Amino acid sequence: MISPDLTKKFTAIVDPTRWLDKKEQLTCYAYDAFVEESMPDAVIFPETTDEVSQILVLASAHKIPVTGRGAGTSVCGAPVPVHHGLVICFSKMDRIIEINTRDRYIIVEPGVVNADVQAALAPYGFFFPPDPGSMNSATIGGNIAQNAGGPRCLKYGVTLDYILSLEVVLASGKVITFGSKNIKDVTGYKLAALFCGSEGTLGLVTKAILKVVPLPETMKTIMATFKDLDDTAKAVTDIIGSGILPAAMELMDRLTLNAIEDKAGLGLDREAAGTLLIEVDGVAEACDKQIRQISEKLVANHAVNIQEAGSAADRERLWTARRSAYGVFAKLAPDIISEDVTVPVSRIPEMVRRITQITDKYKLRVGVLAHAGDGNMHPMIPADKSNAEEWSRVTAAFDEIFQAAADLDGTLSGEHGIGLAKSKYLPLVMNQDTIDFMKTIKQAVDPDGILNPGKFV
Amino acid sequence: MTDQPIQNCGKCGLCLSVCPVYQVLKQEQASPRARLQLIKAFEKKDLSASPLLKDLVSQCLMCGACKVACPSGINHYAKFMEMREQLAKAQPDPPAIRSLVYLLAKEYRLRMGAGLARIGRRLTPAALEKKYKIGNIPVSRFPEMNRRPLRSTLPRVSPAKDTAGGYSRGNPRGRVVYFTGCATNYMFAETGQATVNILTRLGYEVVIPDGQTCCGIPMMFHGARDQAVENMAVNLTAIQEAMRENGGDTTENARGTAAENCDAMDKACDEAAKNCDAVIVDCTTCGAALKDEYPALMNTNADSRHATLTQKIAPDMPETIAGKTRDILSFLHDHIDDLAAAMKQDTSKHKVIYHAPCHSRNSFNSMAKVLDLLKALPCFDYIPVPDAAACCGGGGTFFYEYPDISQKMMAKKLANARAAGADYWLTDCPVCRINLHGSLSGQDSLKVVHPVTLISKGLGE
Repeated sequence: MISPDLTKKFTAIVDPTRWLDKKEQLTCYAYDAFVEESMPDAVIFPETTDEVSQILVLASAHKIPVTGRGAGTSVCGAPVPVHHGLVICFSKMDRIIEINTRDRYIIVEPGVVNADVQAALAPYGFFFPPDPGSMNSATIGGNIAQNAGGPRCLKYGVTLDYILSLEVVLASGKVITFGSKNIKDVTGYKLAALFCGSEGTLGLVTKAILKVVPLPETMKTIMATFKDLDDTAKAVTDIIGSGILPAAMELMDRLTLNAIEDKAGLGLDREAAGTLLIEVDGVAEACDKQIRQISEKLVANHAVNIQEAGSAADRERLWTARRSAYGVFAKLAPDIISEDVTVPVSRIPEMVRRITQITDKYKLRVGVLAHAGDGNMHPMIPADKSNAEEWSRVTAAFDEIFQAAADLDGTLSGEHGIGLAKSKYLPLVMNQDTIDFMKTIKQAVDPDGILNPGKFV
Repeated sequence: MTDQPIQNCGKCGLCLSVCPVYQVLKQEQASPRARLQLIKAFEKKDLSASPLLKDLVSQCLMCGACKVACPSGINHYAKFMEMREQLAKAQPDPPAIRSLVYLLAKEYRLRMGAGLARIGRRLTPAALEKKYKIGNIPVSRFPEMNRRPLRSTLPRVSPAKDTAGGYSRGNPRGRVVYFTGCATNYMFAETGQATVNILTRLGYEVVIPDGQTCCGIPMMFHGARDQAVENMAVNLTAIQEAMRENGGDTTENARGTAAENCDAMDKACDEAAKNCDAVIVDCTTCGAALKDEYPALMNTNADSRHATLTQKIAPDMPETIAGKTRDILSFLHDHIDDLAAAMKQDTSKHKVIYHAPCHSRNSFNSMAKVLDLLKALPCFDYIPVPDAAACCGGGGTFFYEYPDISQKMMAKKLANARAAGADYWLTDCPVCRINLHGSLSGQDSLKVVHPVTLISKGLGE
């Protein structure tokens, strides 16, 4: 609970229209796209860094938990305020401050939506590579907090690789700025790596300078189908292993493909056990050559059908379908758990086999979707959380899936983050000293533990 | 695809990117996802039907963009409509909204209201007209009521005209029923005249159903389902009669035998109904009622009088009518070559921009077809504007209930529209039309009309 006295102090910092504390309103800030929900005591919408700083000074003084939020599209529960307290929602800090393609950067506030960054850069012939499935709604602040990825990060790298500089407000209310407008900058610690992916547990980003890159001249997209899921996975390993680096390489199994087809009706092959959506980009001649090389590998791994997207509209349709996978899966059951265990590419065939074995064992449906080129798996299990018996099988299956990933030198999360979903699995991939080291950092930066408490650290 | 229960909302947040209200307010409680969460909480009795809950649920244009975008197949639109009904019971609407529902519920009230409004406008001093506003719109920028309701000036059956393709009064291309809606009947007569002119010039016989009334969507938005059912029954009965009775030669012959054989007549009537080529609407909101809402409403027994009201309606008629309902612009798109050929050689080209209403985009998916028409027909010099598909903030009574949000939606559109340098701002929804015209000022030369007005002019009378 936040006392009336304290409410008065917060509403002295921001206009009362930017302060919510009624139950009806708070209900709308209890969730993201993960299954757990928890209501905050109040929500505040800052519009400037100074306001954020004042809010944190006050929150620190009264030891009020503070959880940052953008558009609430996280799939791991990162912005869910499990210790209640205050949600700072950045959706109104949504200005694009500067676009400078000569020096290849864009300066944005945290509430700017990823797709709006893309739209603003497109006329200049540039783009910002991270492309999470939620890019049409997700904010840059959230992308940074979660170190978001996406399909084309296979070739281009993830959010962290595009951060030149950040302005961050610490729990104390102090405002720090690190990095610069320079692509090369080794002045001091690489603090971007500390805050990017920290899920709001170390500080709140209020401004970012992001590196941008020129749009490729050409993009070519092909779709290949297989009779056997194992062959599909082997084709991925074979292509990546031979040194070809597509911009994106997406694997979908039969259940996923059929769920998409039900919604989008694209005429996809419902019988295919495995499908690969592969995109190359760059200079036209190079693209042609890569497509030829990839096609040879696909055939060698028993692809039964290879189709190239004929037009930009065709290509867009395929990608729209792929991006809708999470949503279409959601309609199979009241709840959906989508994890993103990641393994070295050469272990993909084994990981796919283990996922299907485990879910078979627990009699669960599973959709296997993967940014396969970088080993980033997305097993999705539709289930009903209110069915305790079924839910215990879901939990048990994921316990084994995470163990399997760890056994194959993999990791817990490629791009979704740990949030509420995976804290308990950390010891599978990190020893106690490492976990303690993260705690030491947390303790130093946020001694009262007010920033996003109840999460992985 | 069948609608999914709201429990299946994956909370993915895709709807945030298409919701015009969220885009303005940038607060989760204004998003479709949040409204579903609120409804869930209400159903679980975690929340009561408070004024604030009603406000959060009502702060929505009912544009249906979320439903179209939803990868999980949730029918937000239907769910929100149901919730509005529940909340209206607990928290009555303000008097102005209740008066509107009262007015629209009976045709005679509407006719009288329109007449009074016309007299009222004549008696209101100009200075007052400028000063008073409904929402953001000065009273002086509201449309004048028709001198006489459109339907009282048109014959029940308008015969086909002679066409280059050989169709004529005696040999029509086909027969269509035209549901005029209230706005055309009482405010925008020229839209109705143009619609009939174009259809007859294409060789169609046009039947205007007697006794039709407000489609009922405004009532449904404000939770008055019982009144909506009543209007639906009146309209379906009227459209059914129009579809059945005017069957051209076949029916005439069949009617001869009808005296001896009732079954044969029924059969002939059903045949005639089947032969009706389309039920045309010039307003896609009315169209959404006919196409989407009526079949669903028929299956609800909201009112004890439901059975009595609907007894004259053949069991398969709501679906038949739903299947035949076409928005006029999509229907004209089927005849794009004939229209282009029939235009006068010396037709003047008008510089036009287009605003796509929500039901045109989300219920009829007609925007691409409309743009085809605007590019193909010689009466148009089409100028693209970047936000043609962005909401204007009209949304039924939204512009009145939430003027601040509405104004923000309009602001950018208005700037783009003014910059385009067009003569006409075309749109196929009467509320958008009122809102667009009302947001322009006396200094603007841009005129807001339905596309059919210019197509009809291009064809000549």
